[in-house]
Amino acid sequence: MDLSLNDTQQLIQDSARDFVRGSCGRDVLLKLDRDPSLVMSTLWKPMSELGWPGMAIPEEYGGTGNSLTDVAVLFEELGCGPVPGPLLSSAVLCARILMEAGSDALKKAWLPRIASGERVFALALTETQYGWTADNVRATAKRAGSDYTLSGTKVFVHDAHFATDLLVVAKVEGGKGISVLRVDAKAAGVSIRALDGFVTSVCEVLLENVKVAAADVIADGWPAAERAMLAVTPVLCAYQVGSCKTVFDLSLNYARERTQFGQIIGRFSRVQDHLIHLVNHLDAARWTTYEALSKLDAGVDAVASCHVAKSVAGESHMHACDYAHEVHAGIGVSREYGLTLHTKLSRSLYHCLGAPRLHRKKLESVLGLVTA
Amino acid sequence: MDFAIQDTPEQAAFRKEVRAFLDRTVSPKIEHMADPCDMSFEQYQLRRDLGRALGERGWLYPSMPKEYGGGDLPAEHIGILTDELTRIGLALPPYYDAGGRMGAPTILVWGTEEHKKRFLPPICRGEVRTWQLLSEPGAGSDLAGIKCTAIRDGDHYVVNGQKMWVGSSHGADYSWTILVTDPKGERHKNLSWLMIPMDLPGITVTPMDLLATGGEGGSGCGVKNTVFFDNVRVPAGNLVGGENNGWKVATTHLEVEHGGMGRMADRRVVYEFINLCKERQDGWAIADDPGAREELVNLYIESEITRLFATRNHWLSHTNQPRSYEGSQYSLRRKLSGLDMGEKMVRIAGPLVLTKDKRWAPLRGSIEYFQRDSITSLHPGATTDIQRVIMARRLGIGGREREKAANLR
Repeated sequence: MDLSLNDTQQLIQDSARDFVRGSCGRDVLLKLDRDPSLVMSTLWKPMSELGWPGMAIPEEYGGTGNSLTDVAVLFEELGCGPVPGPLLSSAVLCARILMEAGSDALKKAWLPRIASGERVFALALTETQYGWTADNVRATAKRAGSDYTLSGTKVFVHDAHFATDLLVVAKVEGGKGISVLRVDAKAAGVSIRALDGFVTSVCEVLLENVKVAAADVIADGWPAAERAMLAVTPVLCAYQVGSCKTVFDLSLNYARERTQFGQIIGRFSRVQDHLIHLVNHLDAARWTTYEALSKLDAGVDAVASCHVAKSVAGESHMHACDYAHEVHAGIGVSREYGLTLHTKLSRSLYHCLGAPRLHRKKLESVLGLVTA
Repeated sequence: MDFAIQDTPEQAAFRKEVRAFLDRTVSPKIEHMADPCDMSFEQYQLRRDLGRALGERGWLYPSMPKEYGGGDLPAEHIGILTDELTRIGLALPPYYDAGGRMGAPTILVWGTEEHKKRFLPPICRGEVRTWQLLSEPGAGSDLAGIKCTAIRDGDHYVVNGQKMWVGSSHGADYSWTILVTDPKGERHKNLSWLMIPMDLPGITVTPMDLLATGGEGGSGCGVKNTVFFDNVRVPAGNLVGGENNGWKVATTHLEVEHGGMGRMADRRVVYEFINLCKERQDGWAIADDPGAREELVNLYIESEITRLFATRNHWLSHTNQPRSYEGSQYSLRRKLSGLDMGEKMVRIAGPLVLTKDKRWAPLRGSIEYFQRDSITSLHPGATTDIQRVIMARRLGIGGREREKAANLR
């Protein structure tokens, strides 16, 4: 048993911490939040130069083949910002789907370009009947000679507005199951629009008679894609853990500085209770997340642990922010203070890669409570 | 990171050795009663026999130094020993020995060489059983407010007063006891710890009638007692950690008691309950109800978090990492999630979990006992509110410097 970071992870943590402190101060993050188009122009190049898009990609495809725990250590630090961008969608999630499901040709064509940061992928799965399962997929690719024509409506797609390429989950004419298709984000018939509101980086993706070459179709790729999604889930959770950590630090510092009734509010046991709830949520998310990651890296059965991790991290992230708002009161909702970046994120990521309810439902099968 | 106790070849060999030892040493006569209050004297002796056999090898207190009868074993080996005893429904030590479990690490920090040589080997070898005596009728959470006195008289301390929520069934050899040695002294500067032999004249032990004993799991605690001291003369050399220095000594004891050491959690009851709900009788199972399934999954997730907090603390303490709020965080979590799991069981399975009737009770009444135990467990080793207070101090929420955890080594 060893729950410490190894030397590689320590280095990753240090360099990520330097990056977040140096390039992603609160004012920068607020600016990027107001104008997400600046994300790619200001952050993507330095991130790519640090080699981050290649971390989760094997060396033979141009990456550095780091473990998922290594990758998660990076994402925890990015979550501390929270640093926005398509790194998880592209270089972890879509890269993993291509690795698990893609043909050799697809892997050779796209993984090196994802690893270098040249191409940015996003996963277009969810539709109007919202859900992170195959049952909800209506998008369909029809045969057109040797190629296909893809049509459908995808909503609440994370990071699509940053993407050069999409992995679209759809039914394919002639296929038995659900397939995954690579689509150029600039192809005719594709329109991508970021959604406004109390939401971070989610988009509408309309697909109208988009031409897709047969070589870009991963027929019946859904089971492999689903495996990839589950393995990537704890990396997303680590990002949420990082966010919870900042939310805790902000709240602790505020409780120690804010004076009311002639004393700092941290002296009041009701305020202390909020912080205790908060740190309990933070640690629950942290340890369920890292146990799942260690199982994945060790190659042992991690299915139950991945479901537990998202069930816990999804809820904990929201609760952590809620308690932070109880501590902060008025100043917490002032946008320039920065807390609301985390609060918005906690809501936006709650459903990403499956809401806690979906993961709990899957645990029913894993625990043998329902016979398949 | 590596959460699992992944056996290296050396560890696998150790596990094999432990398993073989337990196979030939654990008496087939050992019974696992649902309610430890039902443990007979004979059953208690069987557990003590096992303790002595473990102690011979340094396996009873495996983290203690060899020179004092421990095993000096690394965290993984201790985990293996705990695992293997848990697997057969026992604990380490396999009998209630709170005074040893918490007293021994405290004596290791605060005792003189003479204390260590005299007190630790009998504890570590399983030759004696030791209770801890802290609470009194007027002092529970406010431990510094105790009234029981030990007044120096020549070569002895004369002890008078009353302690509550003490020990177990079937007596003890020693009592690891906190007392007032300076009744006129300043608060926190008037206390001392005495190791009191229980066969001294003037000690009376009276069992209490409680809902359950609370929180001792596989160790088979049995009843709790009130202990009266009436002019009990204790040799002065049994005072450990310096006269009137007892509050500082207490911080080490309480660090262990508040979960600082971290035990690998036993989740047997969770798995047994889940299996019970899957059991099909007359074509019907509790888990057929979608609402029950939802609650069961929540119960499982809750128990996973509790297990992971225990795992983290186990790792922190056995690798000498700096700790702050983690001990109390785990205690708080264990108490509250125990209570919550008890409630979930009631919601899921109704009166089935409330009866210990021979005909109807599932799992020989162990679930019914869990119902009582999870409520009783809220107080031992400090209440949930005190755990929160400690967490707040350790996190430095009140603006002071972060309070440091007590030294365990």
